[in-house]
Amino acid sequence: MTGTHKNELAVSVRNLFKRYKNGTQATCGIDFEVRQGEAVAILGPNGAGKTSFLRQLTTELKPTSGSVNIFGVDAVKNPNKAKTRMGVTPQEAGVFETLTVCEHLELFGKFKGLDKTFARIQATEIIKNLELENETKQKVGELSGGQKRRILIGLALLGKPPLLILDEPTTGLDPISRRAVWRLLKRIIDGGTTVVLSTHYLEEAEFLSDRIAFIKSGKIIADGTLQELRAGFPNKYRVNYLNGGGQIGIPHTEFFSDFASAQDFIKTNEIDEYQLATSSLEDVYFSVVGERSEGGATDRNAVEQ
Amino acid sequence: MRKRLSDIYCVFQIHLARLRRETGPFLLAAIVFPVGMYLFASGIAQQNLAGSIPNEYKVHFLAASLVFSLSLTAISWLGYLLLENRFTGRLKLFATLPLAPSSYIFGVLIFALMQGAIGTVSMIIAARLLGVETHIDGFSGVLQLTLTVFIALLSLCGTSVIIAARVRSFSEGSLYTDALGAGIVLLAPVYYSSETLPFFIRWIGYVLPTTYIAGAVNKILAGNPFIGGELLVLSAMAAITLAGGFSLMNWREE
Repeated sequence: MTGTHKNELAVSVRNLFKRYKNGTQATCGIDFEVRQGEAVAILGPNGAGKTSFLRQLTTELKPTSGSVNIFGVDAVKNPNKAKTRMGVTPQEAGVFETLTVCEHLELFGKFKGLDKTFARIQATEIIKNLELENETKQKVGELSGGQKRRILIGLALLGKPPLLILDEPTTGLDPISRRAVWRLLKRIIDGGTTVVLSTHYLEEAEFLSDRIAFIKSGKIIADGTLQELRAGFPNKYRVNYLNGGGQIGIPHTEFFSDFASAQDFIKTNEIDEYQLATSSLEDVYFSVVGERSEGGATDRNAVEQ
Repeated sequence: MRKRLSDIYCVFQIHLARLRRETGPFLLAAIVFPVGMYLFASGIAQQNLAGSIPNEYKVHFLAASLVFSLSLTAISWLGYLLLENRFTGRLKLFATLPLAPSSYIFGVLIFALMQGAIGTVSMIIAARLLGVETHIDGFSGVLQLTLTVFIALLSLCGTSVIIAARVRSFSEGSLYTDALGAGIVLLAPVYYSSETLPFFIRWIGYVLPTTYIAGAVNKILAGNPFIGGELLVLSAMAAITLAGGFSLMNWREE
């Protein structure tokens, strides 16, 4: 998409609450904004409220209270109008298995208001971008799980909507297919399309998004660019090392606020096998959501304090 | 309006692709089982009468088997498709589109009407081959039969839509659709007269659409044009069940 206005809001969410009939509080007063052309990843543990939040953006789930605006359209009051501005890949959606890949994309293109010719042109283009050219005439039911997932992403791209909402778009894809989807999404983001995606793959969030929001217990607990999030994380360096005293080593991780402390730790403990690196998004993730990574990561400074 | 019509046609096309792929089960439900029921009923009658059965009986059994075909098609088969759409996440895919739930229902209804038309025509051809003499009263008779099948299907499909929208699981829904597809034919005075039923069960027949569909189809096949009463009741039933189906079919989860 061309001509996007980076400062204008694509998504504006205010005080969003969702309480299910069984009493589960899915979102607890979320305030969230996405500017046009921005790509935002939503991260959080299972059950944190990511899908409930995204389903309220896509109008599938009616909020208990609060507002959702999509390009200035009140999505709570005018869901159909809001939906014309977005392409959605739900987390658990089924495809129509008796249609061919081409038929599926063409028919859904028509649902998005494309005429027959444009639907065909876009279907062909998307099939090429999703690297499914060899499967064009194949029934969707005959495809692998990963290929079906790519079709779902393709359906969201039909009509070239200015906003894409993707709920775990690459879950279930093998690494090669995942990277193919990333490349495609990256091109779309670079073209100016606004993207909101949820994922469990931190690498995906890092590769695709301009901004990352962490959600936990239905609340956004941290939100910023990767640099901003890292800056807020006190431990800038991590040391991964094997500790076994000559036997088979047990992997350990220690965090340090400065490079010298990290070097000092290695020297003092006479560690031969180690990896010294700046803290990753994963470290920030565990710090923010309050869970500890495998391998016994400890916050050195915190311990020292 | 144009978009709405296009949406309805696309929903129809999606389901048509399914029918093309699964013609076998459809033919079983729409033609093979109902013809089997016709032969079964005729066989029993023949045993009881100890001789050839009068054409009047044959027409009655044909009308009953036509109702059986419509019921299996509109409730068992269509209900299954609707349940599958809901419980395999396909409905979720529709919900993400700028598509009105009514367009989805109308697309499905048109698909059901097409199936009903195929079933009805096939059953009448099969009946001819089995030596049943129908007395459809020319063009007006064909028109009456078309109208009856149309309204009958609407009332039956409304039931399918309600089941598909209300049940909590796929297995619960498919039990309902399977049981009701055959059950509402067997519990109503379709193959037999209501007098043969115990009194306390007769009232069930009064609230089942199959009673009135059988009554109307039987009259049309016998050349009797007075089906206004049956059509009136069926129209009311169709309006109630479809209104219920429309109100329950909502893309948005509360």
